[in-house]
Amino acid sequence: MKPPKFEYHAPKTLDEAVAALGRYGGDAKVLAGGQSLMPLLNFRLARPAALIDLNRIASLAYIREQDGQVRLGAMTRQRTIEFSPVVAQRLPLLKEATRWVGHLPIRTRGTIGGSIAHADPSAEYPAVLAALEGEVVARGAKGDRVIHAGDLFQTYLTTNLAPDEILTEVRLPVMPAGAGYALEEFARRHGDFAIVGIAAVVVRDGQRCKLARLATAGAGPVPVRLRAAEKILETEGLGDAAIEAAARKATELVEPDADIHASADYRRHLTGVLTKRALVRAIGVARG
Amino acid sequence: MGVNLPRLVGARVARREDPRLLTGQGSYVDDHRPARMLYAAFLRSPHAHARIARIDTSAALALPGVAAVLLGEDIARAAKPVRAESKTPSVKTTSFPPLALGKVRHVGEAVAMVAAESRYLAEDAAERIAVDYEPLPIVRNTDEALDPASPVLHEEAETNLLVAREFARGDVDGALAGAALVVRERFRFHRHTPVCMENRGCLADYATGTQTLTLRSSAQCPGLVRDVLTDLLGMPEHQVRVVANDVGGGFGAKASLYPEEIATCVMARRLGRPVKWIGDRREDLLSTTHAWDEVIDAELGVSRDGTIVGLRAQVTADIGAYSIYPWTAAIEPVQTISFLPGPYRMPTYRGRARGVATNKAPLGPYRGVGRPPAVFVIEGLMDRAARRLGIDPTEIRLRNFIRDEDFPYKSPSGIVWDKSSFTGSLLRAREALDYKAAREEQARARAAGRWIGIGVASYVELTGIGSAIPVSPGMPVSTGTEAATIRFDPAGKVTAVFGVASHGQGLETTLAQIVADEVGVPIEDVRVLQGDTEVSPYGTGTYASRSLVLAGGAAILAGRAVREKMLLIAGHLLEADPADITVVDGRCAVRGMPDRSVAVREVARAAYSGSRRLPKGLEPGLEATKFYDPYYGTASNATHLAVVEIDRATCEVKTLRYVVVEDCGRMVNPLIVDGQVHGGVAQGIGAALLEEIVYDDHGQLLSGTLMDYVVPSACELPTMEVHHLETPSPVTLGGFRGMGEGGTIGAPAAIANAVADALAPLGIEVAELPMSPERLFRLIGTRAGEKA
Amino acid sequence: MVTVRMTVNGVAHEGRCEPRKLLVDFIREDLGLTGTHIGCEHGICGACTIMFNGEAARSCIMLAVQADGAELGTVEGLMRDGKLHPLQEAFRDHHGLQCGFCTPGMLMTALDLLRTNPTPSEREIREGISAVLCRCTGYQGIVNAVRAAAPILASER
Repeated sequence: MKPPKFEYHAPKTLDEAVAALGRYGGDAKVLAGGQSLMPLLNFRLARPAALIDLNRIASLAYIREQDGQVRLGAMTRQRTIEFSPVVAQRLPLLKEATRWVGHLPIRTRGTIGGSIAHADPSAEYPAVLAALEGEVVARGAKGDRVIHAGDLFQTYLTTNLAPDEILTEVRLPVMPAGAGYALEEFARRHGDFAIVGIAAVVVRDGQRCKLARLATAGAGPVPVRLRAAEKILETEGLGDAAIEAAARKATELVEPDADIHASADYRRHLTGVLTKRALVRAIGVARG
Repeated sequence: MGVNLPRLVGARVARREDPRLLTGQGSYVDDHRPARMLYAAFLRSPHAHARIARIDTSAALALPGVAAVLLGEDIARAAKPVRAESKTPSVKTTSFPPLALGKVRHVGEAVAMVAAESRYLAEDAAERIAVDYEPLPIVRNTDEALDPASPVLHEEAETNLLVAREFARGDVDGALAGAALVVRERFRFHRHTPVCMENRGCLADYATGTQTLTLRSSAQCPGLVRDVLTDLLGMPEHQVRVVANDVGGGFGAKASLYPEEIATCVMARRLGRPVKWIGDRREDLLSTTHAWDEVIDAELGVSRDGTIVGLRAQVTADIGAYSIYPWTAAIEPVQTISFLPGPYRMPTYRGRARGVATNKAPLGPYRGVGRPPAVFVIEGLMDRAARRLGIDPTEIRLRNFIRDEDFPYKSPSGIVWDKSSFTGSLLRAREALDYKAAREEQARARAAGRWIGIGVASYVELTGIGSAIPVSPGMPVSTGTEAATIRFDPAGKVTAVFGVASHGQGLETTLAQIVADEVGVPIEDVRVLQGDTEVSPYGTGTYASRSLVLAGGAAILAGRAVREKMLLIAGHLLEADPADITVVDGRCAVRGMPDRSVAVREVARAAYSGSRRLPKGLEPGLEATKFYDPYYGTASNATHLAVVEIDRATCEVKTLRYVVVEDCGRMVNPLIVDGQVHGGVAQGIGAALLEEIVYDDHGQLLSGTLMDYVVPSACELPTMEVHHLETPSPVTLGGFRGMGEGGTIGAPAAIANAVADALAPLGIEVAELPMSPERLFRLIGTRAGEKA
Repeated sequence: MVTVRMTVNGVAHEGRCEPRKLLVDFIREDLGLTGTHIGCEHGICGACTIMFNGEAARSCIMLAVQADGAELGTVEGLMRDGKLHPLQEAFRDHHGLQCGFCTPGMLMTALDLLRTNPTPSEREIREGISAVLCRCTGYQGIVNAVRAAAPILASER
């Protein structure tokens, strides 16, 4: 399984990368970590005329706090995120989710920008972006634009990035201090893509729920915010009955697909199970 | 001639293979790059069943760097048709063309072969070959295959029923009709594949100067491959060399002669340049032989106390599109019915096997061959009977095991079991698990709402088979013997050469242990060579749990012959009676007189010095070649005990404890025995819970990547507690029993029975493997639905 | 064609290849270091794992050109003064390999694991080595080997 021929560019700056991408009129692909794209190339399922390799653009890898957000350059490695003190403190959900992303050697190369732009419906980072109501910055020929999580993911492996746009930054609001969080995932094997995953954030005030966020992985073509389930918690509190009700509601909010690993029914069932587990754990971790 | 106390046999000797494998200095096929080598790629069929109307290779040939493109007709001109024959009349002989001839019969079947300057170019070229296919209706499963309205895959057979066989004893119908209880079930063991970490591959080099063909292959059976290749290619056998140095796993997947091996030899001969083909993982999942794909309808009749009165079974195997060479498509289903009776006294039996062709990859041997499904069935039936009768599952087995006084016991398929430790292994397993405590803990856990199950599986396997029991009757190659050449060089070092071909099981080490003990030298002075027909005495290879038994036996015979001669020479040098001389750790000494001794090195030098230093009339030299045929073979057995927990919400099965008590006779190296059990159990657990080859309704392979065919990682497997009994085989030299396949034979059944035990309060049985979370979810949901 | 320059096991190398050439193929063919193996070419089995600038990475899903300027470590570089690395010794002592095909990838992965977590629990060892698929050992010998090597490597730091 060897890749087909392609032209190869390894620009040193972002502007060069955007320009190179633009020259191919949609027939070039951006190479970030390569953990998703390279297998597609090896299988010859992707046949771009050119690869624009972002790995030489040092300015695209950073983690900084700004304006109540943590801003991560698109080429920040998942491994860096895993061990980042800033992420541990400000975005503990992202740190936890990172542990579920493949294995350490994959995280050595995989990037946050690549994972989000690839938009695999079973991936963890898109679910976290949705749960934290993050946004991304994309640069194209016409300049920069900010895309909110809710608008970014369109369907399987498809974002609303234009063919000439490169995702440059991921912005995640700093999680409230004391927020509870959990990523619960079910996979056939440790490190595999989620059959279903639930990202949960809970801000509590005793048994009251000041804020609840729930987002799915693997339960449909894009991450789904389980707003009606969140509302149950925000209205009825964090007791067992409310958690059960929220979990039940979650199963009604998803339209999962079937594949050889799991039927739609089973995925729907898992959505409920994992929502409950994620909430119990998030509530347990939450302070307030 | 002096009793040799074993010092190395039985010891946990570190492996000789390890230093090179640990340092990346192995010699796998792909590590070789002779000068002028070309790389091959195959164009494979995207259709499950289609006629080939036209192939246009011109665009491929036009690519720079492409040396040649071969099609089916080119192979047909250069090689005899590949037709696996069987002596059994109801096993139909059909052809398996290395490159498709006129028709493709499964997705992934090789249609064309490209040789080019790089694999990258070869794949580019393969894509440019234009094939006009005329799709044919697809035979998707065995029911469709047996429907007279369905197309026949092999016209010459006039049917898709390519294999039919029966074993019977006594009046089983009468026995079951009169039984106090009959438990019956339709068992489904879905399709699996071995997934060796090293994909298949080969490197063929035809030297026009010497007219010799060398095939380097990732293969388990170099001797067998050479035999059948020379026949197919019409070459003199002594001008064909097959080499398998380091091989990255076999498990039966690499025991057959493959289309790619034949085609690569033809290409190399045509071009007069070395040609290397290394399969990729996509090709492996598409075209390496698949395994165990069977539906088994079985009924077990027992009396009120659980004693078996009879077993009746119909096995239908989906053998895929082709009958593999040289074993034939019969190998899987016939082994299933041969071993269904298990380690039990079986007064009456009828086992019928059918092998049915469909548009899927061919079925072939995979660790256990026929026995993983067979044990799944009989052990599942025993548990059902136990549950219905209210008897403990281990008790019902103890009541039915072939006992000491029954040995040798002739099974209904004609196999004779020699003295084995069926009862002993189960008793020891219960003890190792602390079965009573485990049941008590299970009761407590159940009361707390947890689904914990304990499953037992006992089995016996036929190993180390000799010439009386051909692996496939009518095969052109005899599998019943192996040989050993043991040769001293004048400096006193020993080279021991065998026809087996280790691919992970450490034969370089275990055979060295045997040779060193037999001959009386330190193990450092023994070097084992194998897997190369140029140097090996005649043999076939490593498969069917036979290598230690047969090659080990030959090593003992050759070792004895060499030691005998050594003692004659030593006696001459020491002026003592050879009967009074011992050989230990490289010295020959007169018993009781340690200073009257001579180094083995000196004896060896004398052996090659000529008549001056030898007893009168003794031929110079110090080497021997001996053949060993255990004739029937022997038995190996084990009991597996698994404790599992089912996550009630996700339906995932976690293995909490796994105990194996196995008896492989006299162990040569317990380290290696443990490793074989671990690996076999791992594949068995994977088969039971995770792995499945899935085709869709268009015959397309859905499990085409390692993300979709899920082999277990370290997180999906338990720590295995392995205990050993050593009942020396009464019928093999050395008392060895083969054991490489056992883990995979017992584990699927143990896991299935444990899951069923966990679900027993719900009345749910396990009749299908793998028991994936999805399947369990549906099973439990259906039952929950019924209850509501 | 592109020129790539990299240091492998401390030795500088230079070569020319197509941009599409996989790093694992470059290592094996152009550099002749065949200890790193190819098992799947889609980043799942881990047999191809090498050290890339000190961190374990899968070379079957990297391009050779991406390694230009990088420092690579392969299994051939593990020995010290002609003696087995303590991790290699531990694999030998505990029967952590059978056919040997996954072993180079397993060694590099285990080394990276132990550098990031010098005192892993059994569960953490299993999670760490779950990055590499082995079909022969059932992982038990490997877990035992990594557990035995961990304190030796930790004491060296």
